[in-house]
Amino acid sequence: MNKNMTPDNDTNPMDEILKRTLQRQEAPDGFADRVLARLSERRSSQKPSLRDSWLRFLAQPLVRWAALAAFATAMILSGHLHNLRRERAEGEAAKQRLMLALRIAGSKLQLAKSRVNEINAGQPERPEERE
Amino acid sequence: MAERTSADRPPDIAQSDFAEIVRLHQSMVFSIAQHFLADRLAAEELAQDVFLQLHANLPTLKSEAHVTFWLRKVTAHRCIDYKRRRKLPQVSLDDAPEPVAPTQSADPFLARRLRRFVASLPEKPRLVMILRYQEDMGAEDIAAVLAMPLATVKSYLQRSLAILREKVTRTIGKVTI
Repeated sequence: MNKNMTPDNDTNPMDEILKRTLQRQEAPDGFADRVLARLSERRSSQKPSLRDSWLRFLAQPLVRWAALAAFATAMILSGHLHNLRRERAEGEAAKQRLMLALRIAGSKLQLAKSRVNEINAGQPERPEERE
Repeated sequence: MAERTSADRPPDIAQSDFAEIVRLHQSMVFSIAQHFLADRLAAEELAQDVFLQLHANLPTLKSEAHVTFWLRKVTAHRCIDYKRRRKLPQVSLDDAPEPVAPTQSADPFLARRLRRFVASLPEKPRLVMILRYQEDMGAEDIAAVLAMPLATVKSYLQRSLAILREKVTRTIGKVTI
């Protein structure tokens, strides 16, 4: 025994007695067989859970690649759809602005026409025009 | 990428080797539990549980030395857990009957009495003593297995030895200890 683990040298006989007293004992007969029996019993009673089944299914390389491809396709389609919606919204806004501009232009033309009519109605006829 | 050689590749512990591993280590695991619990049936049950846990953890263990270290550590922790769960009564040293005559060190009576004295030590010092004298482990290795400071292990050893020596001397007489 290391000297730094015992207080003094007179414990050496005690060390020997303790080593004899605490020496390894044989495991009971059939110990290993009972361990193996419990192991096989545990295995047979363990049914794979739904989660385990899914994890095993998803762990297959082909499934992993298919899932990756499906995810990439979904991302691309989602981006494309988003662009379509944005373009449609922009077109709608442009149409509304054009309609407003046309309405304003129409009302201005109407106003100008009525002014011209008023001016024409207030002027006397010229003689040479009558002859 | 460099190819791994057989030297640095961890050995694959196949399921078929499990029975061999159990037979190789059953004495160690059972004895730690038996010396700690002083109950043969409980020790066997605990040892079986340790090996079932080992089976689940085999893929993570990289070598034979790692298996031995793991078994000692798990057995020690399970012993403490078992003791705390069951709250086994401690045998008081003062309750031990006085012997009728001094005994020689090789006497089985002394061995039986010493085992009782060891079983009456507090949990951690008891484990330290079992690992020291059953497994012939050094203080550093015991500290690693029980995840405790080296100074604590040395202190447990010295105090436990002093207690045992005193109790043996008081109970059995001044034998050749």
